This record gives sequence, C-alpha cells and structure tokens, in this order.
Amino acid sequence: MTTNPLFFRKTAIALTGLFLCLFLIVHLSANCILLLPKELAIPAYNSYSTLLRESPLIKIVAYLLYAAILLHVFYALLVTLRNRKAKPVRYAVNHAGENSSWASRNMGVLGTLILIFIVIHLANFWARIKLGLGEAVPSDPNGNLDVYSVTYELFQNAWFVAFYALMAIPLAWHLHHGLKSGFKTLGFYHQGGLRIIARISLIYAWIMGLGFGIIPIVVFFK
Amino acid sequence: MQVTFKIWRQNGPKDKGKFESYPVDDLTDDMSFLEALDHLNERLVVAGKQVIAFEYDCREGICGQCGIFINGRAHGPHDHMTTCQLHMRSFKDGDTIVVEPWRAASFPIIKDLVVDRSAFDRIIEKGAYISSQTGTAPEANAILIPKSVADKAMDAAACIGCGACVATCKNSSAALFTAAKINHLNRLPQGKAEQHTRVKEMTWQMNLEGFGSCTFTGACEVECPEGISISNIAELNARLLKSKISGS
Amino acid sequence: MLLDSKIPEGRLEDKWRNYQLKAQLINPANKKKLRVIVVGAGLAGAGAAATLAELGYRVDCFCYQDSARRAHSVAAQGGVNAAKNYQHDGDSVYRMFYDTLKGGDFRSREANTYRLAELSAPLIDHFVQQGVPFAREYGGTLENRSFGGVQVQRTFYARGQTGQQLLLAAYSQLYKMIAAGKVTMHTRSEMMDLVLVDGKAKGIIVRDLVSGELKRFAADAVVLATGGYSRVFRLSTLAIGCNGSAIWKAHKKGACFAAPSFTQIHPTALPQSSEAQSKLTLMSESLRNDGRIWVPKTKGDQRTPGEIPEEERDYYLERRYPSFGNLAPRDIASRAAKERIDAGYGVGRLKNAVYLDFKDAIARFGLEVIKDRYGNLFNMYQKITGINAYKTPMLISPAAHFSMGGLWVDYELMTTIPGLYAVGECNFSDHGANRLGANSLLQASVDGYFILPNTINNYLAGAMQGSPDTNHPAFEEAEREVRNHVDRVLGIQGSKTVDHFHRELGRVMWQECAMSRNKKGLEKAIDQIEKIREEFWRDVSVTGGDKEMNTELEKALRLADFIELGILMCTDALQREESCGAHFREEYQTDDGEAFRKDEEYSYVSAWEYQKGDFVLHKEQLKFEFVQPTVRSYK
Repeated sequence: MTTNPLFFRKTAIALTGLFLCLFLIVHLSANCILLLPKELAIPAYNSYSTLLRESPLIKIVAYLLYAAILLHVFYALLVTLRNRKAKPVRYAVNHAGENSSWASRNMGVLGTLILIFIVIHLANFWARIKLGLGEAVPSDPNGNLDVYSVTYELFQNAWFVAFYALMAIPLAWHLHHGLKSGFKTLGFYHQGGLRIIARISLIYAWIMGLGFGIIPIVVFFK
Repeated sequence: MQVTFKIWRQNGPKDKGKFESYPVDDLTDDMSFLEALDHLNERLVVAGKQVIAFEYDCREGICGQCGIFINGRAHGPHDHMTTCQLHMRSFKDGDTIVVEPWRAASFPIIKDLVVDRSAFDRIIEKGAYISSQTGTAPEANAILIPKSVADKAMDAAACIGCGACVATCKNSSAALFTAAKINHLNRLPQGKAEQHTRVKEMTWQMNLEGFGSCTFTGACEVECPEGISISNIAELNARLLKSKISGS
Repeated sequence: MLLDSKIPEGRLEDKWRNYQLKAQLINPANKKKLRVIVVGAGLAGAGAAATLAELGYRVDCFCYQDSARRAHSVAAQGGVNAAKNYQHDGDSVYRMFYDTLKGGDFRSREANTYRLAELSAPLIDHFVQQGVPFAREYGGTLENRSFGGVQVQRTFYARGQTGQQLLLAAYSQLYKMIAAGKVTMHTRSEMMDLVLVDGKAKGIIVRDLVSGELKRFAADAVVLATGGYSRVFRLSTLAIGCNGSAIWKAHKKGACFAAPSFTQIHPTALPQSSEAQSKLTLMSESLRNDGRIWVPKTKGDQRTPGEIPEEERDYYLERRYPSFGNLAPRDIASRAAKERIDAGYGVGRLKNAVYLDFKDAIARFGLEVIKDRYGNLFNMYQKITGINAYKTPMLISPAAHFSMGGLWVDYELMTTIPGLYAVGECNFSDHGANRLGANSLLQASVDGYFILPNTINNYLAGAMQGSPDTNHPAFEEAEREVRNHVDRVLGIQGSKTVDHFHRELGRVMWQECAMSRNKKGLEKAIDQIEKIREEFWRDVSVTGGDKEMNTELEKALRLADFIELGILMCTDALQREESCGAHFREEYQTDDGEAFRKDEEYSYVSAWEYQKGDFVLHKEQLKFEFVQPTVRSYK
C-alpha cells in the first residue's frame, strides 16, 4: 500500500509549518533590535545580520527554510485542490460561521496573502542584500553592511509601513489556526493538552501579529 | 404558522436540478421539520404532483438515515441534533427555509434530497470489525476493561453514520466518521489484534472514495448529533503514524 | 393443518443439546453450494446472515434502508438481559426462563423460552468479543441494572444506546462477510413476494427502491427477519419504514400467523401533539426507576403541574400496585394510564398524557445524580418538546411498541412453509402475550446468531438436490402478480393520500385493538377496516411512476398490507375470549379490574391460516410440563 495522500500531505504541511513557526520566533526576536534607540540599534542590527550572512550553520538553516516554505506551499496547494474536488458543488446557503472560524476555513486565502508578502519582503531585503540587486548597500562605521539603513529607508515609505503592518493580520490568523491544527495533524490528541495548545496558539499568534505589525510603525516614527 | 420551503429538486443523479419554492401553511410549532415536509408532500399528492424524496427512518435521532442541509446548516440551525429532532418552533412565521441535500463528491445525489452514503459502508468493510466468528468468544468478564476505557470507546462508538460531518466539512472529509469507528475498536482490548491493519485499510478506503483531507475547521464536531470530539481525528493521526512505525 | 412444534425430548435443560445432537449436519464443501436469502438486516437478520456466511453458506441479504446500520434494532435504549448472575443476586437460567414465561402470561412454549434464557449468557460473551462497549464497573467487570417486571439485575447496557451498539456489532460482522465475498448485500431493496416451488420457499421477488425494477432471487431457504408491525397503528415507537409486508406476503402464501393481536403498548412514550404527527418517541422504561407517575385527582384540572398540591395528585400506579408501584410491567402500566386518561384525568394540551415526575428523586438524590442517570433522555425530551423536565414533569403517554405476535414458528424457527424461517420480532416464539423489557434485543440476537445457524442445516441437508432457478414458472408467476399489484395501486389515481388512509386505520386500531378490547368494538373495527380497504382501493392517490424512486408508492404498498393485517389482528383479538398479557378483553376482568385469564380454554397459540381472504384458526396447545401457570400479580 502506498502512502495515503490524505494524511501524508497534511503531515508535510504540519511539519513545515511548525518549523516555520519556530523560525518566526527567532526572526521576531532579532527584529526587536529595531525597537531600540537608533544609536544602539544600528550596530547591533548590522552585526547580527553579518553574523547571519557569514555563519555556515545559518546557511544550512536558510536552505531548510526555503525548502520548508516551498514544500508548505506545494502540499497546501495539493490539499486544497483535492479538497475542492471532494466538494464540487457548494451550498446555496451556508452559515459556516456558526460552526467554525473564518480563519480555519480560509487558510488558503490567508496563506496566499502571506506568500505574496514573502515575495515582496524578499524583494525588499534579500534581493538587495544577498543578490546585490538594485542600489548597493552601504557599510556602517564597524565595516558591517548597513542593513539597518535599508530597513529604515524602506519604512520611511508610508505605503510599505501600511503593507507590512496590515500583513501581520493574515499572518496572525494563519498562525492561530495553523499552530493548533498542526499539533492535531501530527497526532497530538490528549484533550486537556489540546486545550492548552489552543491557548498557546492564540498567545503566539497575538505576539507574532503585534510584533511584526508594530516594528515598521515604530521605525517609521523614529 | 406559514413558511416557504425553498427545496432542491433533482430528478436523478444526472439531472441538473434546481430550487423550487413551496409556500406551506397550517403548520404548528410542535410539528417536526420532517412532519412539515410530510405535510407538504400530502399537498403535492392532492395536487397530482410528484412528492419530494427525502430520507428518514427512526425519527428519534438514532438511525442516522435522515440528513438535510437546512438554512445553511447540516441538520438545521441547532448544534448536535439530527434533522428528525428539529421542530418547527425553531423557525418563525413567514420564514423562508432553504433545503438542500448533503453536498459531497462521495455522496452522489440519488433524487431530490436523497444521497448515496454507501461510501461509509465500504469504509466499514475494510476493517471496522473484530475478525472472530460467532461461537468463538471467551467468557465476557475474562478480559477486564477499565471503566474509563469502556467509556472512551463508547464515546466514539456513538456515531450514527448520518454523514453530517462530511456534509458540513468544506473539504468533504470523512475523517470524523472513520476516526470514530477506528478509535472505538482500537481502544478496546478485543480490537488490538487488528489495530494497525484496521487503521491503514480504512483510511486508505477513505482516500479511494474521494473524501478530502481534514483541515480541522471543527465544523464536524459541532454538527455531529452525538457530539463526537474532533480530538478523535487527532487520535486517528497518531494511530496511523504508529501503524507506519510498527510496519505491520 | 397439524402444527408440529418439534420440541425435542428430555428435561428442559437438555432439550437444546439433544436437538443439536440429533440435527443433521452438512459438510463444508456442500455448504458452499447452498444459498440462503435473509430479508432484513437488523440484529436478527444481520446476525443470521453473518453467521450463516461464516459457516460457509452463500447469503443474499436485503434491507429497505440505505445501509444495514439503520435497522430499527438501533433504537432500543434500555439493554439486553442475560442470566449471568454477575450481581450474585440469585439469578439463574431457570429464574430468567420463569420470569419471561410469567411476564408473557404463560402464552409461550416452555422449551423456546428456556432456550432463550439458556443462550443469553453466551450472547453477552459474543457481543463483548465483537467490541460492544458495555457499561463497566471501575474494576473492569460488566455492570448490570434492573428493568421492569423482575427483581434481579440482569440487564447489560451501553448508555441509552444498547440497541445501537449491538446492531453496529452485527452490522460490522455482516460487512466483514460482505468484504469476504460470502454475503451479497442488497440495500434499498424491498421484498415484494415470496416464491414457492413445490410448496417450499425457494426465493423472493424484490423491488429495487432506487430504480423501481423488480428482481428475482432464488435460494435453498428463505429467512425473514423483518421486525415488528406496530406501524399498523400508524403512531408507534417504530421507525417510519417498519412494515409487515414481508410476513404478510408469506402469510398469504401459506405461513400461519400466530397471535397477531398480541402487541405491546409501551407506557412511557411522548404523547401525540398533533394530527400531523408521524411518530411517538419512546422514553426509556428505566425512567420509571426514579420517576413517579401521577395525574390530578380532579377531572380536567387546568392548573400547571407545579400548582397542584401533593394531596391533589393521584399516584395511581402506587395506589393500585403497592408492591411494584411505578415499576409494574409494561402492559399493566399502560392500561392503568389509559384508564385514567379515558376517565377524563389526562393532562397536556390534548388531555392524552400523564405526568412522570422527578421532583422527589431530585430532592432525594440531587440534581447531579439524576443528570448522570438520565441526562441523555432529558436532553432528548427537551429537543423534542422544548421543555426542561428537571423543572416540570415529563408528559408521557402509552404508545404501540412491540409485536409479540408474528409468523408461527416451530422449535427450529421454521414457519409452516418448508424452507421459510422467521427470526427476531417478526416471529411468535418466546414472549407469549407480553414481552419483558430488555428481552427483545436478546431474542433477535439469539435467534439470528445461535439458533437459526444451528437449525437451518437440518432442513438444508435434505435440500441438496438441484440448485434453484429464477427462470422457474413460479418466479414468473410471482413477478407478474407483483407487477399487477403495483400497477393496480398506481392506476387508482384517486383523491386521498396514503397517509390519510393510514391515519384512518391507525385511529380504528388504536381505539379498538390496543390496550383494551371488547367484542362490540372489535366487530365494529373489522367493519370499519373493511370500509377503509374498499375506499383505499377506490380512492387512493399515488403520484409518480414505478420505475423510479417513489416513496409514496412504497408507503402505499406497505399500507395495503397493513390494512389486511389489521383485520386479522381484530379477528384474533375477537376470537380470544380471555385477558392475558397485552391482550385485555374488557369482558374478562376480575372485580378489581385485573386481567382474567382462562387457562382451560385458551392455553394455546392461535395460528391463523390464510385461505382466499378468510382466516382459519389452528391451535397449538401449550403444554406446561415443568411450570404451573399461576395468576400474574404485581400488587
């Protein structure tokens, strides 16, 4: 018997999703440097990003990250297509809001928004810093690439601030359902434990949403 | 009491089908929803028209044969209730009630509101039993089963097989149904001998039948007349993983 | 016709073993060549089909529902009795046998009833092994509770869903044999007629309820497991689709119908609330363990129950039956309720109910204990009526429930047609004139799992010559008759609905042939039903065609048989001039209104033979060798 796609694909989504959740914790923690006063933030942020670029370990993690994102999207796409095929005709009237949350029913929509964000986000930073596309990145007095200034410049544009801040909302929603659902997909079924996980998912989603949402605004007003 | 039923009519699996409206009066609060449909059907007969085909049998919420999507909810507006337990007092005078059949690729429509749920039976065929023959049983108290285990098995075993879980699920996933049956048997000592093949075979059949993947929206446990918890699906996932690891 | 019950020799406790020792066996290679048809997939049918297939027979199983898991065995709430004596309270096979025989007012065979009790213990073993999650004690052993009419605890249960759990076990076992290719399942299929070849049952004609197509099936033996026929009253605790058509067709082909009028009226159902009502939901009898039944002492009292003070309430069961009180057997409790309601003391909007009050139990044990014991029933009550029964008494009313009567069968469960068997509720075998609570799941299961698979070989061993063939003229003839019958119904094109006639029939049957009967009423009822029959065949309207799913046509075909069955039931009730069990003839009661049984004259099973529209009575005398019938007293 071959692998059951109904379960294998979901397991892949859950595993990659949980890995991405861990990544977000690290990402947000580091980004909190941006909240510090300018004179502290510039050296700290730039030396941190140099560390990321130069560490071979981080390199491996980065590839894992790219793979996780791609696999997460790939399998989510397969699951969504299969699930649509399983329900070819929709109800004329459906009060689904009375039995389930909007986010849980629209993970695909939320995920697509996040994917669009990731593409733009990578274009803003990764493309410029790592690929050297666009205007060259200056160096700071310590000889590190001045990633801080790249960030600062971007967030002087109100449109980008609004975009980044607003995109934290679908992210939070996606994480809230994704985290607790991921645990169930991986076979965590203890009822009391599931209640705790649900609460942790909510707290986690709020922290990620608020954190990623506030940083661009704070930087804008610096 | 007067309401307008807007009912899906479809004369066979290949027919396109459409909604038709039927104003009905002379209803009372304490009529069940199905009795209101009976009432409508009697009017149709007197008018020389074909009756609306819909399913029911026990009309006391246990056989699982009734199942209609009513005003945007499986089995109507209440949680944990079958269609036959729904009464007209849940609606207001003058309401328009939209009545649709279960929608799922694996539940093809036979006629009007009647769908074919035999996919469930085929999942059952793949292992929802204990393979010992009549006459081979040991003394009933020879194997002690702690109350908590028996109670948990019973929680899952309560499934009536109505298909509301599939109907309400946006993915038409049969995970709650399949999980309930597997967990019922796998939780009991008698079911242990075949636990791994049972999980693999039944979930594989679920795949073959064209049901979708569970994405844990949680709609199924709200609509389930027996209130079977969605944690059963998580437990199923664990059991499937375990069966993979055990390799049997 | 000579009715040979084929009771084996020997002492009561040896009879079943003696039978098995002498019964013919069939070698496994030959079993594969034999086909058996099982009609009905409830506990009896699914159990029989699965077990026969395990033994090697090729089985075709039929049910009218969309799946075998829906059969009405599913609805039994209370439990299943077994003489395990786990509670160490003095129970035994003999005591259970005696309770059942006495509960049935000594109108069943000793040998059958004893076998029922004898096979009850292995049945629990069987179901536990099949994965039924029976209630357990903390130590892991099986739990029991008591049920109406007995003084020991021998009822095994799975919450309020025992029937469901047993049925699901049987259904699983059946689908296991379907997967193994030994059983062919035909769902959404209704038996339309029985086919006899040389006087033996050799097949059936079936209507496919989806396509409307008529199909022929041939076999070496036919087993009917089609359940009870209380839908003859229209309002009953049965599923809407339950019907008497299969046994009625068999009856018309020569199978004797035994004790048709013995139908049990259950005391604790929800009352009828409107003319449009289709079903009376049963509330488990177990509620009577803690609930007290009463009506106001004043006729037509308009006050709410809460406003009626204690001294103005008539706890009539406790008053009339001080030793059993609210736990009196079903027939007695139902009749007592009817007596109060007819006398004008009924409560509820239609004055057709009595109160079942938990006020005292809640005061004594606390709300939590009552919730724990009956929570699911109270929830069900609230779902249906919208009333919170923790605060105000439940309204309950008697409702038609179980059919003790059915096709006459011998000790082997064979009807008077060779090769035709009847198992479960559709036969008349073990319950006599009244069935004890939690004995119906038992009988259905024991018949299907243990008895039939051990007796059918005794017949099939002699049926090895030539395989049955659906091209036989008898099949053509039967199919033609069915087609004519269907065409006739569709051709009437009258003005009244099927439900109209069913309501009319139900009204007459409930009035004259339910809890209490009398000569004048029964004679009138027969006349009225004849009129209903005449009008039905002149003025019924069935829309749609026969080559499609047509639920109206299904109902009409079933009702046509119910009408005829109704006449036989009244005929039987009229002929039996005594009161026994559920059969209460007003002319035959004691001075204090209890049943007056006449053992010298009526200690027999009435088996009716159909002869061109007339019913001819045959009597199977009941011989009590081991037990002396006594007067049943619950005072």
